[in-house]
Amino acid sequence: MQPSIVYSYRSVAKWALVFCNYVVYFFFFFFLSTEDQILLSDNASSLAVQAFLQMCNLPIRVICRANAEYMSPSGKVPFIHVGNQVVSELGPIVQFVKAKGHSLSDGLDEVQKAEMKAYMELVNNMLLTAELYLQWCDDVTVEEITHPRYGSPYPWPLNRILSYQKQWEVRRKMKAIGWAGKTLEQVLEDVDQCCHALSQRLGTQPYFFNKQPTELDALVFGHLFTILTTQLITDELSEKVKNYSNLTAFCRRIEQQYFEGHERDSAAIAAQSSKRSLLR
Amino acid sequence: MAAPMELFCWAGGWGLPSVDPDCLAVLTYARFTGAPLKVHRVTSPWRSPSGHLPALRTRDEGTISKPQQIITHLRKQKYNADYDLSATQSADTLAFVSLLEEKLLPVLIHTFWVDAKNYVEHTRKWYAETIPFPLNFFLPNAMHKRHLERLQLIWGDDYMEDEEKLEKELYREARECLTLLSQRLGSQKFFFGDSPASLDALVFSRLAPLLKAKLPNGKLQQHLKSLQNLCNYCTSILSLYFPWDGGDPLSSAPRAAGTDGSEAEEDPHKRRKQLLSVLVGLAAMLGYAFLSGIVSIQRGSVGPAGRQPVAMQEEEEEEEE
Repeated sequence: MQPSIVYSYRSVAKWALVFCNYVVYFFFFFFLSTEDQILLSDNASSLAVQAFLQMCNLPIRVICRANAEYMSPSGKVPFIHVGNQVVSELGPIVQFVKAKGHSLSDGLDEVQKAEMKAYMELVNNMLLTAELYLQWCDDVTVEEITHPRYGSPYPWPLNRILSYQKQWEVRRKMKAIGWAGKTLEQVLEDVDQCCHALSQRLGTQPYFFNKQPTELDALVFGHLFTILTTQLITDELSEKVKNYSNLTAFCRRIEQQYFEGHERDSAAIAAQSSKRSLLR
Repeated sequence: MAAPMELFCWAGGWGLPSVDPDCLAVLTYARFTGAPLKVHRVTSPWRSPSGHLPALRTRDEGTISKPQQIITHLRKQKYNADYDLSATQSADTLAFVSLLEEKLLPVLIHTFWVDAKNYVEHTRKWYAETIPFPLNFFLPNAMHKRHLERLQLIWGDDYMEDEEKLEKELYREARECLTLLSQRLGSQKFFFGDSPASLDALVFSRLAPLLKAKLPNGKLQQHLKSLQNLCNYCTSILSLYFPWDGGDPLSSAPRAAGTDGSEAEEDPHKRRKQLLSVLVGLAAMLGYAFLSGIVSIQRGSVGPAGRQPVAMQEEEEEEEE
């Protein structure tokens, strides 16, 4: 199943505000630049944070910057800017939002909270790493997609230098966690294993923990939706996810609930707007 | 019955069957499943067929070195600890393994190998005493360097330099991970009811060293000790599955006798090595003196009075050797 909504690029250009129950904070939400530049893994992480903030009913304003990576305190996108505070990545953002009194996981008991954290690590450990592997360690993808996209905002020779620098960094990291020796098949096998686990856990429930969405749902949605809607050199990766019908239905459900209604008056969908053209 | 597979892993210490978390995980898994393994507890990775520890030498697949692959191999041989788990439980296993690897393991490595006080006073001490001469001079440092490099890559340099940030974020996350495990375990005997599974082997292998080691800087350790059910969980696995090599050496006579014997055996070795190193040193000094012309042997002609006795001394030394 392909999510049928195709967002126009115009919505990215529009800066819009989503007004919700209490307009207390404005979350300036940064992610990596324009549709030409963003990569699979950054897109997934950005979408996850966006989904989380949407689920919390918080007003956000999406800002795209080519240098978002260098603006972020941890060097990773996305990050949010509230008042004079800057917080990056989903984990710290969840904590930050919780400190402000918005939490999705309050209704869970302790065991469920432990399980939620564990599954979030599973997604980070397997899906995110697999995305990074695919875009920086698979030679064809690197050559045809990653380098042109990553270097797009910069003039020659800076684009080459920055791309190679990033590639070198990611590959060293892969070596440290023992992924460097893996083949593409093994990585896809890992993705399949991870999806199988998620699918088993989800079962027939609407969300991972009963009726209410949690940050785990936001994270899973961010990654799976991005994988499903992104065109890569081959569609092996998305095929793996499509094998699990409850996961695709889950993505569709969250998309309808949290993104479709706001589409007209918000640019909160910026991440998806670039979807169709994403990675070629 | 096929010939038993051979498992090479780090020697035991600190009241544990093996000090290395990865080796301990494999060993525990093998005990849970009752896989017939011939275990070699070695004191240097150079004794392992692959150069890494743990290593499993199998008949048909050569030597396997990665802990995960070893467990997969054992599973293929019908030694499967997860046989009774439901699909959801298998999924949970995968999730909690990720949690452990991402949040706890790097901090554990930091505690044992990078934290200056712990490394110098505890970890290096143990490895330097255990690894045979002369490897003990550089292997611990090489391992330290490798772990340090790995952490730098995973966390980035700024974490390694900023002690406060490290403590505040990563150690806090590791403590949270321990708390989550404790909550998940609750009052159960194992993570999935009454029988141990692969997750239990992994959790035990990560927690037991932290619990048993006498670390001078034990911030994380204190937190673990405050989680009573996890402590009980580790001690019960240790006493159930490793009754003779974990706990009290007196409680099992044969093993205790074995260790005593090997200690007694080590002493003459030490003496011999000391003697050998002195001799090597002496030979090097004399060789240098000889080559650089400070000492020379002249046959036939009578040399200067001062030189003659030195040369004779040298000849005597060589005879001794």
